[in-house]
Amino acid sequence: MPAMSEQERRPEDDGRDFADAAWSIPSYILSGIILYGGAGWLLTRWTGVAVFTPIGVIIGVVLAIYLVYRKYGR
Amino acid sequence: MTIAANLLAAEESSPLLPHMYELVVGGFAFLFVVLVVGKILTPRIQQTLNERTEAIEGGIQKAQDAQAEAKALLAQYKEQLAEARHEASRLREEAREQGAQIKAELREEAQAEARRLIEAAHAQIEADRQQAFAQLRAELGRLSIDLAGRIVGESLEDEARQRRTVDRFLEELESSNAAVR
Amino acid sequence: MKALTVLAAPEEFKAPGPELFDIPPVVSGVAWLTKPVLLALLSSLVVVVFCWSAFSKPKLVPRGVQNVAEYGYMFVRDQVARPFLGKDADRWMGLLLSIFFLVWVWNLMGVVPFLQFPVASHIAFPIVLAGTIYLLKIYLGMKHQGPIGYFKNMMFPPGLPKPVYILMAPLELLSNLVVAPFTHAVRLFANMFAGHLILAFFSAVGFWFLFEQLSPLGAPVGVISVVMTIAMTGLELFIQFLQAFLFAMLAAMYIGGSLHAEH
Repeated sequence: MPAMSEQERRPEDDGRDFADAAWSIPSYILSGIILYGGAGWLLTRWTGVAVFTPIGVIIGVVLAIYLVYRKYGR
Repeated sequence: MTIAANLLAAEESSPLLPHMYELVVGGFAFLFVVLVVGKILTPRIQQTLNERTEAIEGGIQKAQDAQAEAKALLAQYKEQLAEARHEASRLREEAREQGAQIKAELREEAQAEARRLIEAAHAQIEADRQQAFAQLRAELGRLSIDLAGRIVGESLEDEARQRRTVDRFLEELESSNAAVR
Repeated sequence: MKALTVLAAPEEFKAPGPELFDIPPVVSGVAWLTKPVLLALLSSLVVVVFCWSAFSKPKLVPRGVQNVAEYGYMFVRDQVARPFLGKDADRWMGLLLSIFFLVWVWNLMGVVPFLQFPVASHIAFPIVLAGTIYLLKIYLGMKHQGPIGYFKNMMFPPGLPKPVYILMAPLELLSNLVVAPFTHAVRLFANMFAGHLILAFFSAVGFWFLFEQLSPLGAPVGVISVVMTIAMTGLELFIQFLQAFLFAMLAAMYIGGSLHAEH
């Protein structure tokens, strides 16, 4: 429903969006690290290739930042 | 100390693990605050704040009303003052007109009176003149007869004749007089 | 462990550590009757008494305590509730005001002389509040957006390319349902925990060098430590307020997010 929420926008929404984004970023990054870092760690456990864990962490961080950018940025 | 004991001790003192009794007490402590502060006290202060807002808005409305009323009164006073001034000037004008009229009337009256007096005086003078003229005529007749009698030497006994003679004389005299004048 | 360190180090300085937060029961044998528990009860009492004296019979023209408490109310309303809840702000003011005042008093207990223990440095207390908000958040989300709609809106925010959802949906779920409430509680706990440790460290150093082992070399260190203790107490006062504000603000943010779907 992006059209409807565009209609309902008020000036104070901008401040709320900013605070939302500011406080969501750490939560998303932490989630990304846990989720994809964890997946990488599992891959490392199974395959023995150590590099999967840092790759997973990096993917998680990048995804989290991209998500925040798409949701609150622009 | 065995490793197990160490682990147990570490687990027991781990600051990230909550104590059960603290959860329970914390829950009750929080519930207590929410019930009293959140459910009882917050609505009261909200009502008071709303009333205050209304009172302030009402006060502003009242002040605006008072100001409007004062303005209306001022306008009314100004109007009345202007009216009074107008009335006063109108009265002054009227008085001046009345004064002028009275003056004119008085003057006319005085002139009429004067004319009347003059006329009366003229009439009096005319009457006096007539009287004096009549007296003079009688006196003159007598004197003329006296004089004629003395000159002629004869007494004119006949009254009628005598009078005719006198009149004739006087007429002659008068006509000569008129010619002179 | 504690007894061991005390015995082992009669003339060696021991920096205070996590054992600082292991407090034995006030009455031995009654395990639950500890200093943090008593302080939590005292904090609730302080908040209730303060608010009762301020708001029980509120006056149109505020005076004294009501005036002070109204500043708190206005602050929570204008800085916490309204920015995140808009027209719903007044309905949630009771909860948010309770949370803000209670957390602030909990934190203030860390600098009150003789009590000197921040209640929130025991994680159970932040967990109670954050857990309540968490349950409320999910309940309100399901109520206002529908049980399925709530999770759908959460996992599939509009405006993303379709394939990305496969990677993003679990991230959203983890972030909203696990990490956010966890950090909500841990942020408050960790700040109070660290602040208390820092204060304890500087005062312990000062006490050690000025009273227990007074020496020409150690005295200046002790003096500096005392000065640092005072400075850190000032900083703590600020952080205590800030954390109470943030905790209430995040609560308002979560509630607001559940009332209206994200856009």
